[in-house]
Amino acid sequence: MNAIELQNISAAYRECDVLHDVTLAVAEGEWLALLGPNGTGKSTVLRVITGLLPARAGQALLGGRDIRAISGAERARLVAVVPQEISTPLPFTVGELVALGRSSAHGRLARAGAADRRAIERALAYTDLLELRDRPFGELSGGERQRAAIALALAQETRILLLDEPTAHLDLNHQWEILRLLERLRRECQLTIVMTSHDLNLAAEFCSRLALFDHGRLAALGAPAEVLREDLLREVYHCDVRVRHESGRAPEVRPERRPQLAAGGRVRKVHVLAGGGSGAELLRLLVLTGHQASCGPLNMGDSDAQAAAALDVSAALEKPFSPLGPEALDAARRLAAEAEALVLAEVPFGSGNVAVLALAEEALARGARVLVNTRHLEQRDFTPQRVALPRLKALLDRGAIAWQHADEVIRALETG
Amino acid sequence: MLWLLAALVPLVLGGALLFGGAGALWPDPRTELGRALLQLRLYRVLCGFVVGAGLAVAGAVLQALLRNPLAEPYVLGVSSGAGLGAALVIMLGLAARSAFALPAGAFLCALATLALVYALARQHGRTSIYGLLLSGVILSSVASSLLMLLLSLASTEGLHGITWWLLGNLQSDSPATLALGSALIAVSFAVVWWLARDLDALTLGPEMAHHLGISPALVTVLGLGCATLLTAAAVAMSGLIGFVGLIVPHALRTLVGPGHRRLLPTAALAGGCFLVACDAFARTAFAPIEVPVGVVTALLGGPFFLWLLRRRAAGWME
Repeated sequence: MNAIELQNISAAYRECDVLHDVTLAVAEGEWLALLGPNGTGKSTVLRVITGLLPARAGQALLGGRDIRAISGAERARLVAVVPQEISTPLPFTVGELVALGRSSAHGRLARAGAADRRAIERALAYTDLLELRDRPFGELSGGERQRAAIALALAQETRILLLDEPTAHLDLNHQWEILRLLERLRRECQLTIVMTSHDLNLAAEFCSRLALFDHGRLAALGAPAEVLREDLLREVYHCDVRVRHESGRAPEVRPERRPQLAAGGRVRKVHVLAGGGSGAELLRLLVLTGHQASCGPLNMGDSDAQAAAALDVSAALEKPFSPLGPEALDAARRLAAEAEALVLAEVPFGSGNVAVLALAEEALARGARVLVNTRHLEQRDFTPQRVALPRLKALLDRGAIAWQHADEVIRALETG
Repeated sequence: MLWLLAALVPLVLGGALLFGGAGALWPDPRTELGRALLQLRLYRVLCGFVVGAGLAVAGAVLQALLRNPLAEPYVLGVSSGAGLGAALVIMLGLAARSAFALPAGAFLCALATLALVYALARQHGRTSIYGLLLSGVILSSVASSLLMLLLSLASTEGLHGITWWLLGNLQSDSPATLALGSALIAVSFAVVWWLARDLDALTLGPEMAHHLGISPALVTVLGLGCATLLTAAAVAMSGLIGFVGLIVPHALRTLVGPGHRRLLPTAALAGGCFLVACDAFARTAFAPIEVPVGVVTALLGGPFFLWLLRRRAAGWME
């Protein structure tokens, strides 16, 4: 039987949707890491599993039972949580703090019995805190605090342990120490472990499976080697990475260095055709790497126009919310004529802006380089007769370079 | 520790019986006057014990619920609210008619103040501790201003009654008020003691309490309600006496630890003894002039509060 099962879970904080249709099962004794950029819903998954955040749709099962049907005390005996940090205003000693893990283990006014004492001793022993038990919790170091938080969860004697970024505040040595401890617990106590993490490599090293989240959706789920793929990670983290697979070892991820203008590299004049925010990241990278960028035509107030103004990039502008007129197009044509390369961003085309394609065709005709973004190319043509798509394809056929991520544009500019 | 304190209680109470306005003296119980005097002192000592116990327990509970070592019935405006209610009851002349009027008025106003504080602090379905403390301080001063308004409108006769009562007066004139207040405080104490381990867990924050199998909302509402009742009953019996809820729980935590199962009963006993001792001092130190006991606790509590703040600033509790 699965220890945890999420079936088509959607969850939201007030009006803000956080999880969409997440289905995920964790087998008993498994160690699963939830990965993904900030704000993609990793921690929300933990909150759904603990019943802290009721799912808007779908069902969460603990040991085959709906989380909504499990009482608080019972749940505390099924699943324990180690939050990122615990704090209390009261001067608890480590022993007293760990004893709080027994809160739901016995009757209200009953004294702690032999079973409680045994659970506390065991939790302290596993986390190597026996000698620190009489020390005030507030005086512990970061690594010791994290161990105490784990001991508090262990004292609950649950079969499932959830951890929210257990290594976030720890130095390298303590990160490994905590994860080795969890590994030992999983093996010796048959614990099922689910943790969120930002450290892909540590997760790959220790976990049996990884779940990668992107904008509240499950982007990938599987063994580390299946999930840590360069294309997938680039898609989710919007950053270039290299993954090294060596047989017998966990895959290793390292970020590709951001392209930088070499000392002798050429500064190029680049014109960007964008709109609606599709060019902001590209403009930023162009400026950052020392190229001379221009852009337009853009409607005033468009987020790309704002980005251009903020980055001091010259832009041809049209009145807000209007179709492109001949004047703005001419201004853009003058800027584009000076450029050695012209880049088409991921813009949707409609009758209002399809005219800009002429600039790309002219540039290609006079021998300048043209780069065309090909992401969701098929779904971006909103012109009445769908004339944009064939023209874009014709550009690519005649030698325009296809690109998907801004880094590729920079690299293409550096070569040749 | 609990038994040590329990043994101390009769000693302190008995000792306090000896002290009168004219200094240490045991009245002769064979005379009419002596018996009357003894009865008055007995009421006073019992009242002091119950009020002190109630205030100390209310302070301990609020400190746990608000996760703030400086929390106290005063800080949340609960005391001022109760004071306003009691003053209204006195001014309208209802206090003389029924023993229930004073505690009922105090409790209703305290509850209304707390509800208002809670509503003000609540934003987007969440209640922040800072919001609670801030709106508590503000509503506390609003209630105090309304009290001042009542004072300036009051007749000379009423003015004396309210002022004397405001300063904190343990001389209970009706056994009914004493019995009713004691019953309310005993019941509230029983409820918060029953919640002891939930209070322990709740000091780790509502989310952690949830993970430990406790319903934070239920415990918070029950706890705040009981703390309000404890405060209102104490205020109805004795007027405004501050700082007992601050000094006693802190002193006791260093002695018996922060766990509420032991802290709450010991704080009750120690709070009772503390107030009885303060009152004995207030009665005799400047005999034959009697100093209001609220002045004594404030003079002891003020510096203690500052010392606590400084210790906190020095990194005691982060």
